Amino acid sequence: MTRIPVRLAVVAGCVAVAAIAGSIGAGAAAPTAAPIKIGISLSLSGDFSDPGGFAKQGYELWAKTVNAKGGVLGRKVTLIIKDDASSPTQAATNYQNFITKDKVDLVFGPFSTLLTAPSAAVASRYGYAFIEPAGGGPAVFDQKLHNVFFTQPAPIVESGDVFVKWLHSLPKSKRPKTAAYPALDDPFSSPIADRMRGQLEKAGVKTVYKTIYPSENVDMTPIVSKIAAAKPDMVVGGTQAGDGYALVKAMVQAHFSPKFLFLSNGPNSPGEFPGKVGVKNVNGIFSASDWYQDSKTPGNKAFVKAFLKAYGGKASSIDPGSAEAYAVGQVVEAVAKKIHSIDNAKIIAALHKGSWPTVEGTLHWNSIGEPQGQFLLMEWLNHQLYPVLPKNVAVKKPVYPKPAWGK
Amino acid sequence: MHQIVQAIILGVLVGGVYALMASGLTLVFGVMKVINVAQGALVIFAAYLSYALFTDLHIDPFLSILIVTPAMFVLGVAVQFTFVRSLRGPDATELSLLVMWALALGIEGVLSVIFKTTYRISSPSYADNSWTVLGYRISEVRFFAFVASAVLLLLLSFVLTRTRFGRAVRAIVQNPTAATLLGVDSDRTQMLSFGLGVSLAAAAGAVYGVIYPFNPGSHYDLISRLLTIVVLGGLGSIGGAIFAAVGMGVIEALVTVEISPVWASFSFFVILIAFLLVRPQGIFGVRERTL
Amino acid sequence: MSRATAVGLARGGAFTAAAVAFPFVFPAAWIVNIGVLTLMYAALATAWNLFSGYTGYISLGQAAFFGLGAYALAITFEHVGAGSGYNPFYALPLVGAGIALASVPIAWVALRTRHMTFAIVTLTLLFITQQLAFNLRSLTHGSTGLMLPIPHFPISSYDRPFYFAMLAILLVGLALCWLILRSKLGLMLFAIRADEEKARGLGIRVTGAKLVAWSLMAWLTAMVGGVWAYYLTFIYPESSIDPLVTIGAILMTFLGGRGTLWGPTVGALVLVPAQQYMITTLGASQFYLVGYAAVFMVVLLVLPRGILPSLRSAVDAQRERQRIGRDPVVREKAAA
Repeated sequence: MTRIPVRLAVVAGCVAVAAIAGSIGAGAAAPTAAPIKIGISLSLSGDFSDPGGFAKQGYELWAKTVNAKGGVLGRKVTLIIKDDASSPTQAATNYQNFITKDKVDLVFGPFSTLLTAPSAAVASRYGYAFIEPAGGGPAVFDQKLHNVFFTQPAPIVESGDVFVKWLHSLPKSKRPKTAAYPALDDPFSSPIADRMRGQLEKAGVKTVYKTIYPSENVDMTPIVSKIAAAKPDMVVGGTQAGDGYALVKAMVQAHFSPKFLFLSNGPNSPGEFPGKVGVKNVNGIFSASDWYQDSKTPGNKAFVKAFLKAYGGKASSIDPGSAEAYAVGQVVEAVAKKIHSIDNAKIIAALHKGSWPTVEGTLHWNSIGEPQGQFLLMEWLNHQLYPVLPKNVAVKKPVYPKPAWGK
Repeated sequence: MHQIVQAIILGVLVGGVYALMASGLTLVFGVMKVINVAQGALVIFAAYLSYALFTDLHIDPFLSILIVTPAMFVLGVAVQFTFVRSLRGPDATELSLLVMWALALGIEGVLSVIFKTTYRISSPSYADNSWTVLGYRISEVRFFAFVASAVLLLLLSFVLTRTRFGRAVRAIVQNPTAATLLGVDSDRTQMLSFGLGVSLAAAAGAVYGVIYPFNPGSHYDLISRLLTIVVLGGLGSIGGAIFAAVGMGVIEALVTVEISPVWASFSFFVILIAFLLVRPQGIFGVRERTL
Repeated sequence: MSRATAVGLARGGAFTAAAVAFPFVFPAAWIVNIGVLTLMYAALATAWNLFSGYTGYISLGQAAFFGLGAYALAITFEHVGAGSGYNPFYALPLVGAGIALASVPIAWVALRTRHMTFAIVTLTLLFITQQLAFNLRSLTHGSTGLMLPIPHFPISSYDRPFYFAMLAILLVGLALCWLILRSKLGLMLFAIRADEEKARGLGIRVTGAKLVAWSLMAWLTAMVGGVWAYYLTFIYPESSIDPLVTIGAILMTFLGGRGTLWGPTVGALVLVPAQQYMITTLGASQFYLVGYAAVFMVVLLVLPRGILPSLRSAVDAQRERQRIGRDPVVREKAAA
């Protein structure tokens, strides 16, 4: 061994010390009338980069809109967005940096339950409110943190509740008697299917088949051949996008068309779904959604208009992820206006009371941040996706049974 | 019983496509002792190429094989020339493994910047069609995928047995030193073999994109299967790779139907480990010497 | 005590002193956090080097042990109730030892294969472990992930216990490597790397030697995984059994110099802060993975032996030139 490592370590140490000292110096001086700094970790690379990008659009649109109106409490809003490469370690690190290094005033949530859970714990440690658009899975609420506020109508696991309730309301002879439950093994999808199966079994719907599959790009053909063999009246799928499309395609290929078909995700994407499964096959398929482009929720019209102006495209291709992120901003705007402060402790206290108008609906939360509303039940009718329940937002009435493929 | 037979049919059809990918991987290993862990990423890359050709220029995914394969052959030759050839010395094999891994990550990164991470699938008009033969359902695209793979594998065997290049390849696989002494241009053969291996990935990718949804991260899943296939078949043995690939297809389809989809690839991995207890060199492999 | 021993101890002492002082000199939480990540990768890379660097057997499956450690600790919390506060840290060496012991039979099978096959088999083991984490839902909660209790450390020094836990594992790893390099085991491992058949022919118990190095690697890695899980308080299969964790450790080992004592640590000291700096300055960029791959590629192609060995041979060459310059006889010989 030579002496190089020591020298190298010394040099590296000096460089590191200088760099750190420099950045501390830079971060120290903060004028009081400065803009409101908001730290957001988003997945701009890696597995969650698509939804992360949608959330980014929503956040930035809100910042632009609110700044055009003069900001929050007369202070402009500055977003500090960092990539977490879809890694929970990096997401937690980013929030730690926002809070202890950048000394941001507020933090907003990342994309995905998997990144929200550890990030919310960091924010909680420093007493920051964690208003978040996408962490709606059980892992987030299981932490029982008091600073979490999820800006969708209900916890994700309740996505199918409206559908189940609707089935109960049908005349007994028309209700499905048997059901099959294929579900994707991820933190959102299979819990939805499990919950619906529990509710339906209690109501007397016999489970003839259930399975859980490992990934979005799994081969659906054998699963569908099993389902078809069991001949259920209804198929309830806990799905994400890709597997939802594949499931429908495999059912079309197998000439198997159940009377009721509910998929938690996939069919709720009006821009993508018809192209993936064939526009002639979409009718009568149910799905759930937290947001709909024409819904009359507070500020939605302005949001859609501003979105199309900023990013172009069609209203039907706006991803709900953008609306969810925009809603986070709306909540902050409203709470700041009400309590004349952006102090985190006061925000947390205030948000636990009352209800808050957003494009996602008027939200109110329980003590661990679970929203107390319900999801929209969506159905494809005449090759268009419409909300059919709950009644106050429905555009059309639900239609059943599902027509055969191609009809 | 009906479902078991149906599963076996499915497994064989899918196994054919994996055989195509794996034959490229094992060929490259045989010739140059390089484990191309980027093979999965290259398959996905080709799937995207074919997908882009289909969605933008409306070229049928199966026809796009004719475009994607030569293009990726050139890419393969270029990769071999830039990254692999410069590695010499006792550590070359280990380094090449890691270099190929870096390449895989790079391809994944570039693809996710260009295409984002949404799952894609090429859906030609006949994508949903299927035939019913004796009560068993056979999807058209899967059948075509299998036929395309089988034809390409036959073509590969023709190249390897009937051409000068093929003889050079087999000579190098059997004994590199002797082959070089007998006048085989080892550098050139290695470069062409690598290109050939990559173009097999390319053809398989075009086919893969029709039967499975894929995104840039799909290569992890692919490469884990491909590596298991080539090790089980015996590194360097194309016949072994084909045998193991079809075996994997059948086992996974059976486990999916009879037990659960989540245990499908697990069971295949476990078979590998169990098999290595008995034959560390794989089914058709020759015992690897310390390199 | 020989001079080499003295220099080695002094070097280790200086590193330890600097590392211990660091969180007190720079108490800001975000800096200590980077320190935790740096030490984590230094420990992982040191562990990887202990097996793969010394034997020449590339293992692509190290992240499996990282994940096993993380899950073992989380499951201990969930099902046994390990308590909170500092207790989990004390339980870690035992948890790690359990995992290392359990891995021996599997390692024995894997080690029957030779270099390239071995690399593949270890990668397969990684995917098997990940699938088990997904599928054994009653134990791991599958894809939903496992929550660990949030420890109630004082907020101003919250990260310190994790920092020192990582540091302790790194120091134990370095001490083990140092002992191995000076022992018969080290000679055996290097003999295996040079020519395994010959080593076996000479009567070296190659399998035993490899298994000892493998278990030490597994032990260290599992402990690092446990600390990480407790630090993050939430784990799920893809994050805790992530091929990129293995790749990170390998990259740092190659950058610093594999087969050396300090190489992996040097690699981590360079790369982890650099990576964090890039994320903070470049902020929102999609090119993370591309950049990572590019750095990886450059290290492999330009510095295949790593910083330390390259520097050392540069210095040796310099000394040689000076010696030749001073000695006329050698200079003539060199000229001829």
